[in-house]
Amino acid sequence: MDANSFHHFSPRQRYRGRSHVSLNFGCWISITCVIVLSLGCTRSTDFPSRPIAIICPWSAGGGTDRVARQMAVELEAELGVPVNVINATGGGGVTGHTRGAQARGDGYTLSMITVELSMLHWRGLTNLTHRDFAPLQLLNRDAAALFVRGDSQYQSLDDLRDAIADAPKRLKASGTAYGGIWHIAVAGWLDSQSLAADDATWISINGAGPSIQELLAGGVDFICCSLPEADAVVAGGQVRCLGVMADSRIRGFEKVPTFIEQGHRWSIAGWRGLAAPSDTPKERIDLLGGAIDKITRGETFQSFMASSGFDMSLENAGQFAETLERQDELFGNILTQPAFQSVSGEQFGPMMFPIMIAVGIAIVSCLVAREVLSDYHDHGMENRQDTAGEEPFFPGRSLGVLFALVFYWFVSEPLGFILSAILILGGLLVLFRVPRVTAMVVAITASVVTYQVFAILLRVPLPRGFLEW
Amino acid sequence: MTEMILQAAQQTLLDPMVWCVVIGSAIYGIFIGAMPGLSATMGVALFVPLTFWLDPLPALAGIVTMVACAIFAGDIPTTLVRMPGTPASAAYADDAYALSRRGEARTTLGVMLWFSVTGGLFGAVVLMLLGNQLAKMAGWFSVSEYFWLYLMGLSCAVIVGGSSIPRSLLGLLIGMMFSTVGLSAVHSQARFTFGQPELFQGINFIPAMIGLFGLSEVLRGAAGRLNGGEPQPTEASGAILPPAIQLFSRRFRAWLRSSTIGALVGILPGAGADIASWVSGAVSKRRSKQPENYGNGSTECIADACAANSASLAGAWIPALVFGIPGDSVTAIVIGVLYMKNLKPGPEIFEAQGVLVFSLYIVFILANLVMLPIGLLAIRAGGWVMRIPRSVLLPIILLLCIVGSFAASGSLFDVALMAAFGLIGLVCERYKISIGAMVLGMILGGPLEERFVQTLAGSGGSPLALVNRPVAALLAIICFGVWLSVAVSSFRKSRLSATSIGLPIERS
Repeated sequence: MDANSFHHFSPRQRYRGRSHVSLNFGCWISITCVIVLSLGCTRSTDFPSRPIAIICPWSAGGGTDRVARQMAVELEAELGVPVNVINATGGGGVTGHTRGAQARGDGYTLSMITVELSMLHWRGLTNLTHRDFAPLQLLNRDAAALFVRGDSQYQSLDDLRDAIADAPKRLKASGTAYGGIWHIAVAGWLDSQSLAADDATWISINGAGPSIQELLAGGVDFICCSLPEADAVVAGGQVRCLGVMADSRIRGFEKVPTFIEQGHRWSIAGWRGLAAPSDTPKERIDLLGGAIDKITRGETFQSFMASSGFDMSLENAGQFAETLERQDELFGNILTQPAFQSVSGEQFGPMMFPIMIAVGIAIVSCLVAREVLSDYHDHGMENRQDTAGEEPFFPGRSLGVLFALVFYWFVSEPLGFILSAILILGGLLVLFRVPRVTAMVVAITASVVTYQVFAILLRVPLPRGFLEW
Repeated sequence: MTEMILQAAQQTLLDPMVWCVVIGSAIYGIFIGAMPGLSATMGVALFVPLTFWLDPLPALAGIVTMVACAIFAGDIPTTLVRMPGTPASAAYADDAYALSRRGEARTTLGVMLWFSVTGGLFGAVVLMLLGNQLAKMAGWFSVSEYFWLYLMGLSCAVIVGGSSIPRSLLGLLIGMMFSTVGLSAVHSQARFTFGQPELFQGINFIPAMIGLFGLSEVLRGAAGRLNGGEPQPTEASGAILPPAIQLFSRRFRAWLRSSTIGALVGILPGAGADIASWVSGAVSKRRSKQPENYGNGSTECIADACAANSASLAGAWIPALVFGIPGDSVTAIVIGVLYMKNLKPGPEIFEAQGVLVFSLYIVFILANLVMLPIGLLAIRAGGWVMRIPRSVLLPIILLLCIVGSFAASGSLFDVALMAAFGLIGLVCERYKISIGAMVLGMILGGPLEERFVQTLAGSGGSPLALVNRPVAALLAIICFGVWLSVAVSSFRKSRLSATSIGLPIERS
């Protein structure tokens, strides 16, 4: 129907060019668009009535992401609205947790929160604490465990501890980046054995996988990570587990002794849970909590967790809140120790590498500048003639493209993706002298198709705007 | 053994479910790869919840096919609109787009498809014959070896990209500088964030890449003549594959070399398709009789890089299956799926799950074969893009730039980043600074620094630690050799041009 109305207006438009009619025409089009777009768009006050996003602070494919995606699938079935996972990664978890905490507290943005939430603020990386979240449910805990190579001389925890005590800072360990959960697990263990937290040199390697490889390659003497992460190499005999830092043996890994059994009173675990921003209304928290509770008791989720090797540990909102409080205190105690206050490896501080590169850039820039100048000398005159004779040059159009981007930045949140896309596409097409009817048809079709493909099919959370669409 | 292979073949090829999943995920993979900003990893992550209801083999088959197709499909927008779908395509984006502007888009895509398929098949055969043995290679690589490997990848970008060595090097260094923004992975300290929480995550290379290549092209295109005038990518009709097959038979040895490089690089966890692509491009340029074509529309560079990046895919499965160590983000998901299906990765998977492993090999071959017809269809469909007038196409590309940069982490900040890099791309283009090298610098800068600091931290600061392991020393010698040969040849070139002042000099 709207297509017909374009045809009706188009011939006049072509002949008259820019006139008052074009304004009327524009108004007409906009009104038609709004009407067409709002058709079939029901705004309901029921919760939930539109897609929910779960923010995962870790990358796609990791353990947290897998739990989040499984949860998303089941929440979708439970709540009847699409549930999408957004991987807001980087910054050691700062990025994702910040986005999750700062999201609108309307229950449509949930977060997978992980143990790093209790650690980051103690390390001065963020002001965010667990108080910025309303906890929904604790899902699992992964106890830390120590691993050495299969052919290592260390047969027990005592062997390893004695070796560390004999030659402080000689043994190298890894498992995660500096200040990560597994690092703190090792530091806390050493502390519980009356050793200094940095008596084992920590090599900052991101992730358990690369750390295991470093252990295999002989670059470090022992590593700390969770049991399922090293399961394959333990089963293959390349790596041996010395013990798990848990109060009792872990389901599925019954052969692994705990630290406490070996007389080392120390246990620590990473955890994952779901939470919402702290200003989310109570009734929505209860509704979501109920749905999540039902899922976690269901067989599908439990078998997923069991087969993935995640040690399921459920706590409802109230218990989870208490746990968070205790965790915060625990990590505060460890992270405020002097061993953690000094920066690791000051001689290779964070600015060393950027300075090396900056020096490189300075030197190479000189070389490039020389080349550019000599090019200019050789070809300067020709170039100037070239540009004069050859091509019409419309910098205004490029500015139009940039303006479209700035415009999108400002209006996409309030107007939603489809309307903003139609506006910038339409504007640019008209700027590029495309006949207006074509411009309108292209703008609307391209925007709607893009929205369908990315938001509906590929689950990209494009902004929805005031039309909730 | 034969029995197991037969059983595996039966399980794979006679199961309609496997066929359905393979064909379906081939189409899905092509689609994901062709959309800018959507990576194979994201496609696989979206697919994972579905695997819950699938048997292990169809589930793995879906992932294998999807990734193979996505890596090829990344070449389609690279060629047609100069927007690399994957970082692996950034190595030859300029070549592909230059060819496309000469009206050779279809032939170029044909070459990409053919060499991706054959490279992928080579990778599958390597996985099949040597998988278990080659897994040991991962055990030789400690942080110091990785340091040299990454440095070699970066050096290769300097050799391949751009119009002169200093200009590629400058692009690379600028890219590495951008990689230092955000929370330093190895020190866990914030750098250059200016108190902005968004900058903590660092500069995501996907929006940066879309801006550098895609947006800068839109900006440039918008300023130029929109109809006629400047040669625009035109659609040539005619055969797609025959020229590629001719090239293949002519350059069989080069193909073998590139695929081998790809397969070896792929086996190392943490070094994937993008390094494979650059390294084999560089080797190809050093061995080529017309190195001046590289970066300027060289089919040889495209063929070699495509073969290498596809050959590297199967390799990444080796450490995943044998050690449970993910070779890349996709195999990280694969390990999750294996666990979910109660299949534990580890050396014994070859005995305990022999039939499944053989089926997996067959699936690798099947996936690459299925990619051929579906890729051809995609190339034909891509032809429609070429018929759209430039004045309509440019705004649509802009929209895709916006959505693609938003898609990776769902944040408007990335859209702004894309816009900024569009302008940087424009400036770099003006001074012919290699933006392909800049993208690789952004990807590998972080890991390089990590390995460097880790090695030094482990040795208490002695730089000797970088070379005191045999494999590291070997890699270091290769690296220095490469630099020396580059320095010598560029010195000769400058001597040559210095002596020929006054004569007309061909410059690109």
